[in-house]
Amino acid sequence: MTYGPGTRVRALAGDPDHHTRVPRYVRGHVGEIVEQEGEWPLPDDRARGITPPRVEAVYAVRFPARDLWGTGSHTVTVDLWESYLEEVAPRES
Amino acid sequence: MSHDESHEDLHVAARVRALEERVVAAGLTTDDELDALLDGLLAGASPVNGARMVARAWADPAYREALLADGNAAAGALGFSTSGYRLRVVENTPETHNVVVCTLCSCYPITLLGPSPGWYRSFAYRSRVVREPRAVLAEFGLTLPDGVEIAVWDSSAETRYLVVPLRPEGDLSEEEMAARVSRRGLIGTAAV
Amino acid sequence: MGGQDGFGPVPVGDDGAPFQADWEAKVFALSRALRRNGAFNLDEMRDAIERIPPEDYLAASYYERWLIAMEMILAEKGLA
Repeated sequence: MTYGPGTRVRALAGDPDHHTRVPRYVRGHVGEIVEQEGEWPLPDDRARGITPPRVEAVYAVRFPARDLWGTGSHTVTVDLWESYLEEVAPRES
Repeated sequence: MSHDESHEDLHVAARVRALEERVVAAGLTTDDELDALLDGLLAGASPVNGARMVARAWADPAYREALLADGNAAAGALGFSTSGYRLRVVENTPETHNVVVCTLCSCYPITLLGPSPGWYRSFAYRSRVVREPRAVLAEFGLTLPDGVEIAVWDSSAETRYLVVPLRPEGDLSEEEMAARVSRRGLIGTAAV
Repeated sequence: MGGQDGFGPVPVGDDGAPFQADWEAKVFALSRALRRNGAFNLDEMRDAIERIPPEDYLAASYYERWLIAMEMILAEKGLA
């Protein structure tokens, strides 16, 4: 289940009780995959000393500022591990 | 260093010395290793390196293509080490301006930009540039035309970003162009 | 941090020497050396920085937070 460019994905909405690399401001928001950035160990596991850590695909995911802040014409692209994301239907908005 | 050392600073400095003594005593590092790391950093990491890559890209279309396709390999081709992260190079165009931040901490490609400036690490930059980049860039003296779209890149994983600014006008040599490129230009808070 | 309100203008003039004091450079070198030698990894370091109590976190300077984080990790792991 690798996401190709253009796939619409939602960032996890939850607030885990351990270190994670999902910035708060994108949680629960829908963005679009720009590209895959290779595979990297999951920081959530590395921060907790879990060995070996899960290794996952990481994606650059682009969010429209208007969706994040209700205002702004720019985009914000965030690098997110695969388990931080769930695919959403293309038509959902 | 030349700054006035406040009482607070002296207190922190004493704690750092105590920590250093404990980790050296525990065999976790040595004073020589610490000195060598710092010397290596100050000697090898500089925005001059990033500027050289950008100027080469402006002068040589094949290098530009390679740089945009695989930043690590293109850095390596000029002798710069970028291990442990993916280097993603994003290019400004007349339509799009790129600006880089790390909202969670202050990640950035230190070999190519030198140790990060205080403003890059500041709460103000990290909190605001994702939300109101136009206002933040204006504080740096960079006012973009209304039609230019801004793409903000938040370095939240193992990717580090480098911006290729718009090439300056005029008939300049590669060296002259490299001299024009600032660290701010390579992060996206200046035009070049 | 991203998108949070209330931090005011960006200190654009803070653009000079990489370290404002020798102890900052030492903290930087310590974090690099201890990571290289396996005392902790970068994610443990980031996690520790985030676990600094909020009032201490906001009162500390950037490299002071690194110092506090390293002190925490080394104590927690019983390393030094």
